[in-house]
Amino acid sequence: MAIRWLRSPLLLLGILLPSLVSAAHSFENTAIVRTVELGGALVHVTTTYAIRALESGSQKYTVTLGEKEGQLTSFLEAKLKGKSDPLNVEGHPLDPTEGTYEYTVELPSALSVNGTVNLVLDTVQTHATRPWPASAGQNDGQAMLYESDLFVLSPYKTVTQRIKVRSPSPRIISHNTPEGVSFSTESVATLSGATVTYGPFSNIPESANAEFIAQHQKPVKVRYNYEHPVPEVKSLERTAEISHWGANLNIHNDVVLHNAGPTLKGQFSRIDHQTQVFHQRLAPHILPAIVLHLPPGAHSTYYLDLNGNVSTSRFRPAPSVPKAAQSNKYSVLELRPRYPLMGGWNYTFTFGWDSPLADSAGYDAKTGKYIVGVPLHTHIASSVVDKAKIKIILPEGATDVEVVTPFPPISQERSTVVTYLDTTGRPAFTFHYENLTDKHTGLIYVTYKVPLSAHLQKPKSVAVALLGLFAFALAARRVDFRLNKP
Amino acid sequence: MPRAYPLPTDLSPATVTNTKSLVRIVAFALISGAAIASRLFAVINFESIIHEFDPWFNYRATRVLASKGFYEFWNWFDPTAWYPLGRVVGGTIYPGLMATSGVIYNFLQAIHIPVDIRNICVMLAPGFSALTAWSTYMFTKEMKDESAGLLAAAFIGIVPGYISRSVAGSYDNEAIAIFLLMFTFFLWIKALKQGSALFGTLAAVFYFYMVAAWGGYAFITNMIPLHALALLLMGRFTNRLYVAYSSWYAIGTLASMQVPFVGFQPVRTSEHMGALGVFGLLQIVAFVQLVRSHVSSKQFNNLLFALAVGAGVVGTVAIVGLTYMGWIAPWTGRFYSLWDTGYAKKYIPIIASVSEHQPTAWPSFFMDLHFLIFLFPAGVVLCFRELRDEHIFVIIYALVGSYFAGVMVRLMLTLTPVVCISAAIALSTVLDTYIDPSEPDLPVPEADETSGPSETTTDAPKKTKKDKTAPPPTSSGASVTELLSGMVVTPPSTSKKGAAKEKKTGIFGTDTRLAVILNAIGMLMFFVVHCTWVTSNAYSSPSVVLASHNADGLQLIDDFREAYYWLRQNTPETAVVMSWWDYGYQIAGMADRPTLVDNNTWNNTHIATVGKAMSSSEEVAYPILRKHDVDYVLVIFGGLIGYSGDDINKFLWMVRIAQGVWPDEIQEPKYFTPSGDYRVDEQASPAMRNSLMYKMSYYRFHELFGGGQATDRVRNQVMPKTGPTLDYLEEAFTSENWIVRIYQVKKEDPLGRDLKTANAFDQGKKRKRTRPPVRRRSAA
Repeated sequence: MAIRWLRSPLLLLGILLPSLVSAAHSFENTAIVRTVELGGALVHVTTTYAIRALESGSQKYTVTLGEKEGQLTSFLEAKLKGKSDPLNVEGHPLDPTEGTYEYTVELPSALSVNGTVNLVLDTVQTHATRPWPASAGQNDGQAMLYESDLFVLSPYKTVTQRIKVRSPSPRIISHNTPEGVSFSTESVATLSGATVTYGPFSNIPESANAEFIAQHQKPVKVRYNYEHPVPEVKSLERTAEISHWGANLNIHNDVVLHNAGPTLKGQFSRIDHQTQVFHQRLAPHILPAIVLHLPPGAHSTYYLDLNGNVSTSRFRPAPSVPKAAQSNKYSVLELRPRYPLMGGWNYTFTFGWDSPLADSAGYDAKTGKYIVGVPLHTHIASSVVDKAKIKIILPEGATDVEVVTPFPPISQERSTVVTYLDTTGRPAFTFHYENLTDKHTGLIYVTYKVPLSAHLQKPKSVAVALLGLFAFALAARRVDFRLNKP
Repeated sequence: MPRAYPLPTDLSPATVTNTKSLVRIVAFALISGAAIASRLFAVINFESIIHEFDPWFNYRATRVLASKGFYEFWNWFDPTAWYPLGRVVGGTIYPGLMATSGVIYNFLQAIHIPVDIRNICVMLAPGFSALTAWSTYMFTKEMKDESAGLLAAAFIGIVPGYISRSVAGSYDNEAIAIFLLMFTFFLWIKALKQGSALFGTLAAVFYFYMVAAWGGYAFITNMIPLHALALLLMGRFTNRLYVAYSSWYAIGTLASMQVPFVGFQPVRTSEHMGALGVFGLLQIVAFVQLVRSHVSSKQFNNLLFALAVGAGVVGTVAIVGLTYMGWIAPWTGRFYSLWDTGYAKKYIPIIASVSEHQPTAWPSFFMDLHFLIFLFPAGVVLCFRELRDEHIFVIIYALVGSYFAGVMVRLMLTLTPVVCISAAIALSTVLDTYIDPSEPDLPVPEADETSGPSETTTDAPKKTKKDKTAPPPTSSGASVTELLSGMVVTPPSTSKKGAAKEKKTGIFGTDTRLAVILNAIGMLMFFVVHCTWVTSNAYSSPSVVLASHNADGLQLIDDFREAYYWLRQNTPETAVVMSWWDYGYQIAGMADRPTLVDNNTWNNTHIATVGKAMSSSEEVAYPILRKHDVDYVLVIFGGLIGYSGDDINKFLWMVRIAQGVWPDEIQEPKYFTPSGDYRVDEQASPAMRNSLMYKMSYYRFHELFGGGQATDRVRNQVMPKTGPTLDYLEEAFTSENWIVRIYQVKKEDPLGRDLKTANAFDQGKKRKRTRPPVRRRSAA
């Protein structure tokens, strides 16, 4: 049984390291513009590199993130400006001496000298903001603090660079103005509306090294109003069970939800909450409900917690669509926790649904294999999943299993699950992920063969058990245990 | 032979027998299905959830058993209950229920049918109700015949008196205990009839199971000896009785002592002395029988007199002496309260405070048993007509069961099986008589055959009257055996044709038959309708989730789970929660937090401490709370939505129980108005208005009405314009409909002031802004 991984992060590391050294002078950044879209748990960062090649045949461009930045970044994608196809990116582990994370982007074609290209790097940072003040009363607003670095690091020289930090609400409460900033000609920070612009900074030397970071790097701090709650999924355990007999794909999720907004100051007052609800002025850090988008065709949804069914949920199903067709409708599941989730409160719950297997499975007659796509995770709006464990349980007796994940997992393992009327157990694959965001909503594809004998295993075992029982009863009725025969 | 309606004549006996057994099996399957299905209202209307209070503990214990194994469960010490005392769970419970679920759970796991332990617990009671129907069938079959048995099984399957304790989710000891009760009785009757040590031993084994499952095993412990004693006094001593009783008692008692919670009680408490005494008496009588067969009549009479007097005196002296020396525990209060219904209220308010320990109201007999309660005496009278040994059992059971059902609501449960059996006997006799097509005018060829039983039944009492003073000769036992075997072996076909019938009387025509039969069917149908209605309306509420009907349809009120879940998720795991004991098991099960007191009401002082804290003023209660490390106080308040089972309505019991321990500090009359009313409005007494319970219930309640009249919807009283204030506690959580209110106990003031002063100081800073409330406070 072979397991194939796409985009394994460390695969090409050894090959690439020597080439990195010589790559330092092959490009120049004519301009770097970074736009930070502030949010709650997720911060979307778009960095546009205007690149000019200094040597011909340069195809491997290196982008660099600072140590903290790299740790916060959970999603990274590079594209050419105006194109939708993502470029091939190789990530590398933290360089401890320089304190940087490097990513090698393979440009679609080698550039000649002075050839230019605009590279757009989309990243998503998780846990980059925190509530400030860290606690808020039940009727107070919610302010978040975003901290980052002033300079975009690059192993190449940069002509001009600028960072825009944009708040989702119209008001930025405060922002810092770093002192003693090098390379600056005008004011370091300008606030206009909901946007703070740092820069422009000109003629920055190669910055992806410890020396530059120590000398020139400055912090950026922006405090802003955030009008939405900040849900955080501390752990998600998803079990997807593929059943051929039931023609069903069951997806079961155990969720530990946490409101990462400012912790509640004092105690919860129901009467204040009811007043807020009555006037429809719910404080922004209160999470009253979460909305989930389930695939069309989902049915038999359930929503429970450790104390049983939670009756406060609504489900609007959408009919299932053929596999190939693109559906623009989702089944919407609105879950209300038992109690409104104040800042710092937790709520553990379980939800799941069944969907027709035909919606997500296909059969390849040529190879005799089934292909099933299992959604990696169901995103709760503007939340981050800290730890995810995704387990896919295949039908009993599945062989020749291949798994293709859209994103490389932290780790994965294989196990056997024995459930309803199984004799040999079902093969299961578990994938561990961290910091999943709204960008990580792909499908895990599993292909496998199920021979006919495996399909019939269940009825066979049940039949054997029942026949055994009957045989026993037949025999037992005919044996006389009495000592004194009448 | 004249017949009211024609019968097919060309049927072979084999066909009849096979058809009958097939019909029986089908009927039995349907009865089981009906018994299980009618208990599922709670699951369908609500969900698969554990109900009420005690089942939550059983469920929690079962989860421990299922996840950690039997030995861990056996040695389980629960430090979170009865904080800070803790509870040795393994030694203070009847483990039968948990063990049953554990065995089922492990069996299903072993054959790879993974069923959640909660669903096993929820479905255990309905499952066992089918078994109860079966054991009632077996029992009634011994009393009359299969048709009466099927009727009894159908009755017990759907009768509300039993459903009330065995709906899906009602995971309590009674769920399996009624099956065990009936099956033990069946085995006892079987053992007695056959004089079989095997059945006696089986009865003992099931008695052991019963002891392990329910505290009500004492009912069997006293019923069987009572039956044996009655037989003895009626001069019906036989070797069969001796064998059956001795094997049951010896093995059953030894087995029952293996349950840690029971331990040496069978030889050391008064409740069990009856069984021991009858055991001794039987030995003496058996010995006397032996002696009698060897010595002359005159000598024997003297000997018997000396022996009887001697044994009686020695036995009484021994039991009284042992009681005085403390070897035999005297009767417990719970036992006294069975004889004097006012006893508990006076001396043990904690028992009287439980609603199911109240005397039964008359309407509830009809509600729980419907028309069976009318047929019940008829069935008992029919038992008198035959009066075989097993009929005496039913008669005694009927008497004892009726008495206890009248004393305590919950003992309606033990009455229900005998009502079903008697009613089935009566109804089946009626149906037998009126379905039987033979008419009396012409000579009936089978008259000799059918008159057999009737003759024997008239014989038996005559004999017993004659031999009342002395034990009957062994030969009479043998003759009874013959008669009995004659009865038992009577072919089933005669039972179809009818019970004992005089030659000259009978029923003519089909119209009379139809009138009676249709009446009977009508009653049965009304019974089914009534059972369904009562079950769905009265007995299928989980009481954890409430339902209210409004314009939008059924609305679920889920405040309990909301608040418990909040505690579970958002408080430290070691936070101690104080509440009235009713909610102890639920908090432990759903909130998973330590509690001060719970439904295992073993420590009256501890409960009284909680009662005192609840009924004292804040200043008095605060040191009590702090000394017990209480972090949160939980009260149930129904005033907003009209939930009448709230703590203010239970408050007087808290006062009474506290008064029992601290009569100087808590006095019940102080909580009434001068005119003797129990009020919470303006006229409420100062003790009431200052009590912690009152303050916690109504804290900020009047604000909800936005200046309008705040009305308590349970007590229909208008609340004062200013609500109570709290200095030592602060509101931590209130559920959506205000049913559950949780308060956090403040820590001591860091500056060393008492919290009242500290609070006043804090509010003093805001004096300018909130002048009116401050002025009012200073005036008070």
